Amino acid sequence: MFDLVWLIPSFPLAGVLINGLLGRTIEERNKSLVHWIACGAVGLSFLVTLGIFLQLLELPAEKRLYDFTWFTWISAGEFSASIGYLIDPLSMFYCMFVTGVGFLIHVYSIGYMWHDEEGYYRYFAYLNLFMFSMINLVLADNFLLMFLGWEGVGVCSYLLIAYWFSDLANAVAGKKAFITNRVGDFFFAIGLLLMVTYLGEHGVWSLKFTDVFANASLMSPNLITLICLLFFLGCTAKSAQIPLYIWLPDAMAGPTPVSALIHAATMVTAGIYFVARCNILYSMSPLAMGVVAVVGALTALLAATIALTQNDIKRVLAYSTVSQLGYMFLGLGVGAFAAGIFHVLTHSFFKALLFMCSGCVIHAMSGEQDMRNMGGLRQKMPITFYTMLIGTLAIAGFPGFSGFFSKDEILWKVFSSGPGASFLWPIAILTAALTAFYMFRLIFMTFFNECRASEEVQHHIHEAPRSMTAPLVILAFLSIFGGVIGIPASLGGNNLVEHFLDPVMGLGAGKLLQSASGTSMVQGSAHAVALHSVELEHTLMIITTGIVFLGILVAYTMYMRNRSLPDTFAAKSPSTYRMLLNKWYVDELYEKTVINPLHSISVFFWKGIDVVVIDGLVNGTAAFFMKCGVVSRAAQSGYVQRYAVSFLVGVFALIAYYMYVR
Amino acid sequence: MTDYQSIYLALSAILFAIGVLGVIVRKDAIVVFLCIEIMLGAVNLAFVTFARANQSAEGLFMVMCIMAVAGAEAAVGLAIFVLLYRKTGTINIDKFNLLKY
Amino acid sequence: MELIATLVCGGAAVAAALLVILSRNTVHSALWMVANCLVLAVLFLLLNSQFIAVLQVIVYAGAIMMFIIYAIMMLNLRVSDDEGDVRKSLFTGRFAVLCLFFLSLLILGVGLSPMAVKGDMFPLAVSTIGEVNLIANYIFLQGLCPFELVSVLLTAAVVGAVYLARKD
Repeated sequence: MFDLVWLIPSFPLAGVLINGLLGRTIEERNKSLVHWIACGAVGLSFLVTLGIFLQLLELPAEKRLYDFTWFTWISAGEFSASIGYLIDPLSMFYCMFVTGVGFLIHVYSIGYMWHDEEGYYRYFAYLNLFMFSMINLVLADNFLLMFLGWEGVGVCSYLLIAYWFSDLANAVAGKKAFITNRVGDFFFAIGLLLMVTYLGEHGVWSLKFTDVFANASLMSPNLITLICLLFFLGCTAKSAQIPLYIWLPDAMAGPTPVSALIHAATMVTAGIYFVARCNILYSMSPLAMGVVAVVGALTALLAATIALTQNDIKRVLAYSTVSQLGYMFLGLGVGAFAAGIFHVLTHSFFKALLFMCSGCVIHAMSGEQDMRNMGGLRQKMPITFYTMLIGTLAIAGFPGFSGFFSKDEILWKVFSSGPGASFLWPIAILTAALTAFYMFRLIFMTFFNECRASEEVQHHIHEAPRSMTAPLVILAFLSIFGGVIGIPASLGGNNLVEHFLDPVMGLGAGKLLQSASGTSMVQGSAHAVALHSVELEHTLMIITTGIVFLGILVAYTMYMRNRSLPDTFAAKSPSTYRMLLNKWYVDELYEKTVINPLHSISVFFWKGIDVVVIDGLVNGTAAFFMKCGVVSRAAQSGYVQRYAVSFLVGVFALIAYYMYVR
Repeated sequence: MTDYQSIYLALSAILFAIGVLGVIVRKDAIVVFLCIEIMLGAVNLAFVTFARANQSAEGLFMVMCIMAVAGAEAAVGLAIFVLLYRKTGTINIDKFNLLKY
Repeated sequence: MELIATLVCGGAAVAAALLVILSRNTVHSALWMVANCLVLAVLFLLLNSQFIAVLQVIVYAGAIMMFIIYAIMMLNLRVSDDEGDVRKSLFTGRFAVLCLFFLSLLILGVGLSPMAVKGDMFPLAVSTIGEVNLIANYIFLQGLCPFELVSVLLTAAVVGAVYLARKD
């Protein structure tokens, strides 16, 4: 079955080609065929993934690595790159939830996009293209193919954010996403080129993961640090960390299923995947790991503070995504690679669920997205309410739900990560509290109390159709029970996830133990192994749970009991409130420091050089020749006598020549 | 002064020059035409002189041809002048610069 | 004797030509042109070309000049309107002076160059060169083709002139 791995990306590709090229005719004949093709393609991919995954499980742990080379892509002298797929625990783990959650979102999109006028087939073609790129990213066995998928998901993100491009704001948001991603990709590409050049000098002309990691020690530690940091810059753009997270909140301009799929579950986790895949490289560079951890923690806190004050339901979820991604990077940064990946899995479940529920709410409210105009939807949309509540409990980290186990694992690993813990752990805990608070704020504002919408909007409120609620129910189920596979040993579970990912991540941990260079924030797992005290872990779990309850309680008080409290707080510290509401003015800062200077330089090059110099040169040449023509025209005056004079001059010249020269 | 041929040739040259001058300076088309005839006459003189000097009849034959051509040219040219006069009412060649750029 | 005749006729020819280009009245120009043609005929006679002299009188002075005078009468030209563009006449005037200067250089060069033909003017043996039978011999033996072509040219000219001048 392993040799059929090429089918996984091929099905969505076939979907793209059919829907993209023939979509218009298909849509005219039989509109539902469009979504049958698209969802069928992803569904088939999921089935193949499932088959390969089960077959992988049958193998013993050391043998779980299979490299399938499809065909050679580039062959230039000593360097060659091929299209090949790597079947190992990490890639299969990722592929499972990418195709699975992707399939559920495809089904949800049927109901959401059915009544849209602007091209049903176009949407599904883009969505399938995205799946194709993401699967390539995740399954690739070399850096180059992975980068192809990386860029591909960026393109699809742009296409889908700007899906309703007739509204200029959406197009601008799409452009912002793409350009920010490109900035990150630029640094990513520099890192890639550095790596391939340096390794090539030592004779290793291959970009396959296995080859690069085996020969990683050929590079000096400083070079590895530099490469890791460059890669991480690319990841900050893709996975929305400081400094390049600015595109994600604006990306909410796209349809909600897009937000659910791309900006919650799959594309933004590409950065996490990449860092986890390169865990060997990162483990060799404690500085890079430290940077990853610190950036992750700070992003988590920053995004959480901004989410406290946002009034748009999708914006809150967007900042919540940024915050949770920060968590994942924090986990990766302290060496807990498996914990980070586990959080990716659970986050994909509940974040996709939350976005889809918000989509149902927006759909029911006829496009209203401001939470201040919602309320009291609990009775009218029960399924949505209950599934969204489950998702919220999961993201807040309520005990027993999947989010609790994954978040707790990360918090434990952060706490026991050595010298950095005293800085990182309080930030993480504070963020957890804020997360609980603003998520429940969202729930209370949207579903409880009286309905603050207008009369006609209230008439239209209805529960979503079955095609939209079925995925909600499935994801809610997974949000509750999906954490079972990761229950840590301290609670009696087996931590299947960690053991499963050991062959890929365990090497990283091994390197971690070996690297002894100086002060590192992340002598991590060594400490973790040493301090494996169950009581300490339980104490931390109780603290976390307490913090979560505190957050929920505060939210309850402020939005259910004493409804004037939010305004009181806002009035007491207006500058802080405004700062948080305006996202810490980061966008404006970027505008002033980066965008405006670039704009001025561009304008100078345009008006000063392009128009004056280059156009002047070209037009000047033409004008010069025209002037020559104008001057020469005078010779043709139309007067016969003048012509006779010119005859005469010629005759004289001839005669003079014959007489005096010859 | 046994060199009479030079006198005839010099005379021919002077007459030719006068003809050229007339063509360039005068504005009236008929007068320009007359000056062309002066030029042709001067050339005839030169031809006859050379025929006399070289003892051959070729030069004289050439003169005959030139006269025939002058006659033909006079006919067609004057017909054109008449036509021009009919169309525009003037025969001043300064007025005819329609072929300018 | 011939020298005096040559010089007198030469002077007359030059004077007539000058008067052609200097007359204000077009008819006067035409009449001076007739005079010029007649003087040229005399010059031809001095060169022993009787046939050509007669031809000159009959064809040139008789036919062509009459034709031109008919045209002048038809166009009703009296005083030629020589006002025109002041700038243009200055240009052409100056140029004419210039060309005369160069022509004089030319003549000088011809005169001073070793190519000028020297020799006795009136050797007795060839005083019959202008006789008609010699010319006729040449025409009908060696110059037959050009002769016929000239007649074709004349026919074409006639046709052209008739077509151009018809009244429509």
